[in-house]
Amino acid sequence: MEVAMDGMMEMDKFGCGFAIDGELGWSSWSPGIDWEYFPAADDFHGLIESMISDGADRGGYGLPEFCDGSVTVSASSTNTPNTPTEELATVGTVDDEMGLRLVHLLIAAAEALTGVQKCPELAHVILARLKELLARGGESSMERLAAYFTDALQGLLDGGRQQEDPPPNPGELLKAFHLLQGMSPCVKFGYLTANQAIVEAVTDQRRVHIVDYDIAEGAQWASLMQALVTRKDGQSPPLPPPHLRITAVTRCGAGRRSVATIHDTGRRLAAFAASVGLSFSFGQCRLDSDEQFRPAAVKLFKGEALVLNCVINPPHLPRRSAVSVRSFLASAPSLGARLVTVVEEERGGGKGDEGRGFVGLFMAELQRYSAIWDSLEARFPMQGRARGVVDRLIMGPRITEAVETAYRRREEGSVALEGWGKWLEAVGFGRVVLSFFNLCQAKLLLGLFDDGYRVEEEAPNKLVLCWKNCSLLSVSVWSAPPPSPPSPSPSPSPSEASFPKHSSI
Amino acid sequence: MFSSKKPTTMNSHERPLCVQGDSGLVLTTDPKPRLRWTVELHDRFVDAVTQLGGPDKATPKTIMRVMGVKGLTLYHLKSHLQKFRLGKQPHKEFNDHSKDAAALDMQRNASSSSGIMGRTMNDRNTHITEAFRMQMEVQRRLHEQLEVQKSLQMKIEAQGKYMQSILEKACQSLAAGDAAESYRLGFNNHLSFPSLQDLHLLGPTQLDMPHDDTFYAAGEANVCLGKKRPNPYGNPSGKSPMMWADATTAACMGTQEAPSKSDQLQISPAVNGGLDMESIMDAYEPKPILDKGSAKLHERPSPLSTPERLMQTRNLSYG
Repeated sequence: MEVAMDGMMEMDKFGCGFAIDGELGWSSWSPGIDWEYFPAADDFHGLIESMISDGADRGGYGLPEFCDGSVTVSASSTNTPNTPTEELATVGTVDDEMGLRLVHLLIAAAEALTGVQKCPELAHVILARLKELLARGGESSMERLAAYFTDALQGLLDGGRQQEDPPPNPGELLKAFHLLQGMSPCVKFGYLTANQAIVEAVTDQRRVHIVDYDIAEGAQWASLMQALVTRKDGQSPPLPPPHLRITAVTRCGAGRRSVATIHDTGRRLAAFAASVGLSFSFGQCRLDSDEQFRPAAVKLFKGEALVLNCVINPPHLPRRSAVSVRSFLASAPSLGARLVTVVEEERGGGKGDEGRGFVGLFMAELQRYSAIWDSLEARFPMQGRARGVVDRLIMGPRITEAVETAYRRREEGSVALEGWGKWLEAVGFGRVVLSFFNLCQAKLLLGLFDDGYRVEEEAPNKLVLCWKNCSLLSVSVWSAPPPSPPSPSPSPSPSEASFPKHSSI
Repeated sequence: MFSSKKPTTMNSHERPLCVQGDSGLVLTTDPKPRLRWTVELHDRFVDAVTQLGGPDKATPKTIMRVMGVKGLTLYHLKSHLQKFRLGKQPHKEFNDHSKDAAALDMQRNASSSSGIMGRTMNDRNTHITEAFRMQMEVQRRLHEQLEVQKSLQMKIEAQGKYMQSILEKACQSLAAGDAAESYRLGFNNHLSFPSLQDLHLLGPTQLDMPHDDTFYAAGEANVCLGKKRPNPYGNPSGKSPMMWADATTAACMGTQEAPSKSDQLQISPAVNGGLDMESIMDAYEPKPILDKGSAKLHERPSPLSTPERLMQTRNLSYG
């Protein structure tokens, strides 16, 4: 396991052997990593295999194109330190070696940060090596992805970001978001599926009230308005389109800028509604100072069909805390919501046993973003400027957040990988079956993009967008359970004990 | 297996050429060689079927054995047997009416001569109603999918218009007037999706997706659409913006590429998306590069000035 070479410095408290020659040059460094040490080695193998098979399909992803099985990152056999790289050296180009090596290093760094034997110095060393490799190599897609993950890990190591990047210009961010919508079906899939479910649920209603958790710029609602205006409800003469009211949930004490943004959003939505001939009104409701949602904050009118819409972690917005989201969803019964739509990220690429500490979560994120990267790369090579903007303004920050979140939730085990669906079910929400129309629409939408995308009906109330074998995003639709009888506490909520402890999503 | 010795045209006016293989089977010469069920072949088929006790009792395997025709596969027999059972005529789009009638007669004769006419006729009736029902079902499905497609198109357009309106304002607050203008131009293309026909009707099919560099290069040509100010909330000139942009994109894409792509109805809109990214970025860059962009505005001939080309591609994409 250890490499015995002259002039070598062994750091064996971690089970890793390094070959560093006399002048601390890294040129021929081969990580002699004892893979047995990593509990997640099997998952890693799966990750590598899936990435390799993607590379084999495409022939250019940046990973060696050998058939499964020839990369043996086996947990069982004793590894000679040169095994992984020797094998790599015989197949593929320099780029392919690089890709696999980067992944190895990232996972090793993650392990070093939080493994059984924490070793921050080792993590430091590995990250330094990573940066050097990335600086030296050319810019391939894999390398850019690895760079973002490296920065994220470095941020963890430093315990707080040293260089606070200035928050991006919201106009730029919006443009990046718009570009992303054209590149990946994720955004539209979420919006259109949720909207279709809403339209179907309110077919004969005269007033519809939607409480939107994270309205951002309101892009979701344009197509809903269009659908409401042209809906066919099978009656003759067809009912006039309903009155739509949207309440945006805003953070408390937000700066003047974001308040102005919400007002802008309201104005634009109103203008659009006017242009399609839909009667519309807009309102706001604030979260508490601790970001909790209080049902009392929403103005309700009689005769409204209430819908709660919750798009969790839209790509161009920073994350919200899980507590906040939970408070929003939990208010559905007391508000008497007819429908709850949830759009959330999925991490379903692996074998399901990744939830083992930080490394498992890290690998899940790595896998997810690799899939996203792959899907973007398919049509929009990273040399393009558009892709550069999207990567820089959206992907980079999201990756950093994802890694930080994974770190915060590392103690939670596999619960951290579960989606909100499980919780909603546990709390008594019912499933609302998605129609064939909805599924058909999703498939048609995906037909507009690369054919590596797939939509799956994971449950009668849940559609999942996948890239090849990796789930990316899901939309699920729920009906609220009847409100529990009034209790001494101001807002009735299910017992805390049944909540999984999401510290942050 | 199906080597063609001498090309024999059956009818000079028929489009698909048929070649006589050495096994005695007649195949068409279009890209996928299809078997032609000639009169004699069909006769033998019917004989075999009646020998085996009727279309319900016969299976493709047994028919194949009984017929003993070299080169006939199970797939041929499966589909032909199904059609036979439903009482449909094979290849009715290629045969002229006389042949149709002949085939039908043949079927009737075959069944009557075998002496099981009564049963076959009854079976045919139920088969016909079943076929009818199936056809109605298929039509209903297709209609529904068409509805989905139309509504999807409207929704995407609506969202696109909305995003455009937001970004216009964002752009205006950032840069001067014509920066916003060219940005809008880029956007109008980006937001348009190809025509209805190009959307997949029946679920995922393998798209023909060449990874051409020309696709990305052609993106810059989209900026050359002239100073037409797109109305965010209405259709310019009443045409669907989707068709317009599709045609112009196709026209911009180069000489031979465009017609063939429209022909196959396989233009992926993601291609358009890819094209438009760069044009958006072109317009989005700050002033100095914008000048380069506006220079391009004059360089490329506007596709609108080549109306025949436009009409050509548009007609083609109607299929």
